[in-house]
Amino acid sequence: MLKNVTTFAIVFAIYILSSGAGLADIGQIKILKGDVKIVRAENTIAAKAGDALEQFDTLVTGPASSVGMTFIDGTRFSAGPNSVVELSRFKFDTTTHEGEFQTSVKKGTLAVISGQIAKKSPTAMTVRTPASILGVRGTRFLVQVGQGN
Amino acid sequence: MKKLRFLAPVLVLLLTAACAGPKDLIVLLPDENGKVGKVIVQSTDGNQVVLDTALASAQVSTGGAKKNDISQGQVDTIFNEALAAQPPKPMSLTLYFNTGGTVLTEKSKPVLKNLFDIVAARQAVEVQVTGHTDTFGYANNNDKLSLKRAKSVAKMLIEQGIKTNRVRAAGRGERELLVPTKDGVRESRNRRVEVIVR
Repeated sequence: MLKNVTTFAIVFAIYILSSGAGLADIGQIKILKGDVKIVRAENTIAAKAGDALEQFDTLVTGPASSVGMTFIDGTRFSAGPNSVVELSRFKFDTTTHEGEFQTSVKKGTLAVISGQIAKKSPTAMTVRTPASILGVRGTRFLVQVGQGN
Repeated sequence: MKKLRFLAPVLVLLLTAACAGPKDLIVLLPDENGKVGKVIVQSTDGNQVVLDTALASAQVSTGGAKKNDISQGQVDTIFNEALAAQPPKPMSLTLYFNTGGTVLTEKSKPVLKNLFDIVAARQAVEVQVTGHTDTFGYANNNDKLSLKRAKSVAKMLIEQGIKTNRVRAAGRGERELLVPTKDGVRESRNRRVEVIVR
């Protein structure tokens, strides 16, 4: 038993070491203008093009700022100024293309072009706004929260 | 009771004011190929609006979801900056190899040049390179060969100036045949490297 546990611990340690930093990546920032931040757990990071995104990240853009990103399933997001977008849930199997993608737009504007997750299953991708839940069957759409503010 | 009756119009006024508050706007657009998809808007109030035509839009407030069309001009005004930040479409292409090694077929050479051009035009580019073989030879040798093929493409990309950490190479051996064959079959369409550019 102890031997099994030790073996497991070693195998697990090797797995962690070999998987590197890319394991949790769900997408990347491609285009960035002005002041954009990633809020990740307790930390707020000044974002730049090429930065990796993780599940639970919240993107925050300042005035006259915008950010464009691609996800590993081919979905593309771009947010305009004064926006807050939370990547609430992201799961994707690169082999079967099955997955789940939930986003919450708290504020501002977001342009979406959906990818493999929405293509594979009509109920797999949702976007929340304060007053609604969007079921995404595809493909390209826009969301503004707090119209007239 | 009399007091309550007096309060009723005030309550209605307050509710109306709440409904006129911030609204969410959802607009459906055609994709880059002109195809129009579908978005189902479910308000937290319980009503539902289906958007399935170009420039169909829904306004959602505490009073529920309402459908109306929006002009291209309004879309440009509201979403100009968000749309301008949209990254280019992820691309995929396939390179084919001569049997047994990492030499590209003649036909694939212009495709490789095309790949270089696409990659050079993108900001913060990511390239995923996956090698494959046909079923000729031992499976474990094919695992090595498929990775060699992927790495040879990755090396050429890096020579073009792409940073090492922007390219990921993997070998799938004979596990993902493009054209299913029996074991031990030379099949040119299976000797390939699939490239995804994001």
